[in-house]
Amino acid sequence: MADRPRALVLVAHPCPDSFTHASAGAAVAGLRRSGRDVNVVDLYASGFRAAMSLEERRAYHGPDPIVDPQVAEQARLVKEAESIVFVYPTWWSGQPAILKGWLDRVMVPDVGFRFDERTGNVRPGLTNVRHIVGISSAGSSRLVVGLINDNGRRTLTRTLRMACGWRTRVRWYGMYAMDRAADEKRRRFLDRVERGLARL
Amino acid sequence: MVYCHPDPESFASAARDHTVTGLKASGHEVRLIDLYSESFEPALTAEERRTHRDPGVSDPTLQGYTDDLRWADSLVLVYPTWWSGQPAMLKGWFDRVWVAGVAWDVNRRNRLSPRLRNIRRLAVVTTHGSPKLVNALQGEGGKRLAMRSIRSMCWWRARTTWCAMYDIDHADEADRAAFLERVERTFAGWG
Repeated sequence: MADRPRALVLVAHPCPDSFTHASAGAAVAGLRRSGRDVNVVDLYASGFRAAMSLEERRAYHGPDPIVDPQVAEQARLVKEAESIVFVYPTWWSGQPAILKGWLDRVMVPDVGFRFDERTGNVRPGLTNVRHIVGISSAGSSRLVVGLINDNGRRTLTRTLRMACGWRTRVRWYGMYAMDRAADEKRRRFLDRVERGLARL
Repeated sequence: MVYCHPDPESFASAARDHTVTGLKASGHEVRLIDLYSESFEPALTAEERRTHRDPGVSDPTLQGYTDDLRWADSLVLVYPTWWSGQPAMLKGWFDRVWVAGVAWDVNRRNRLSPRLRNIRRLAVVTTHGSPKLVNALQGEGGKRLAMRSIRSMCWWRARTTWCAMYDIDHADEADRAAFLERVERTFAGWG
């Protein structure tokens, strides 16, 4: 059997009964329908450490920046991934600390990017990744989030996008005004995520 | 002042020291929070999420931070910019400490109203590995998070100061020294 493309789904919410987990479930169902193998990493359930350690910081510019086996495992999943899907609640216009920490600790030199030996400039490292997908819910309305600039979205669709190859596509599914959303609106969002990812 | 870097010998620690010197020169009393040395735990817990609409921090070890926030009339954040934003450690400090009843209240019309109106000045001292142009293309998420999202819970006319070094990957000793001098001068000039 030919190798099927692999999707890595990162989920960052402390409560298993959250809307974020429901969104992740919809994403996984859609990705499976699209014919992908899916790896789900629930950052809270797996006890992922958010903060980069002193040891990691000092190893960052050295030959082997990964010192924690849990990070090595994440780096392996990233290198095998054809798509990476981030599912999280937007807090303070950005990713929850545990997901920001995943970026800080896993997207190190030779995973997320590499330094060009001649110029010292940053070069993309995620050339295997063809799709970056962000799925997030925000308490505030789209207008308020827009005024503050939806910074978590920018981090994924611009900063992380720059670490990928030039053909990589980005998609964003944002659920806004969560604090006031009725069940019907939530259901429609989950539907949109599942149908959208089935066609990825 | 909130300082965030894992390495006590980092350039960020030098920036921290120059910030403190500048603030003292302009007559400020400084309380310094060093998130790494205090072993702050940045991941918001399930319990905190379930009670996030109840006023106040549920973890008593966070109480000191809320007292500091109420005491201050300026807030200065010193950190390296990683992946366009604050390190997870500092992001978690916002997630866990800037909660209902501390940073904001929900008013009768179900809207947020800012609570940290005692904070009249907000400053960021940070370093970027990449050049300014690259950061501009990336959308400067960390800058906007601090200067818009965090600022929105402070006094409505709070003034902001962005003191940033770009392209530190290509900087030499003279560039670094010039930045530290600029940091100190900036805060010494705070009347």
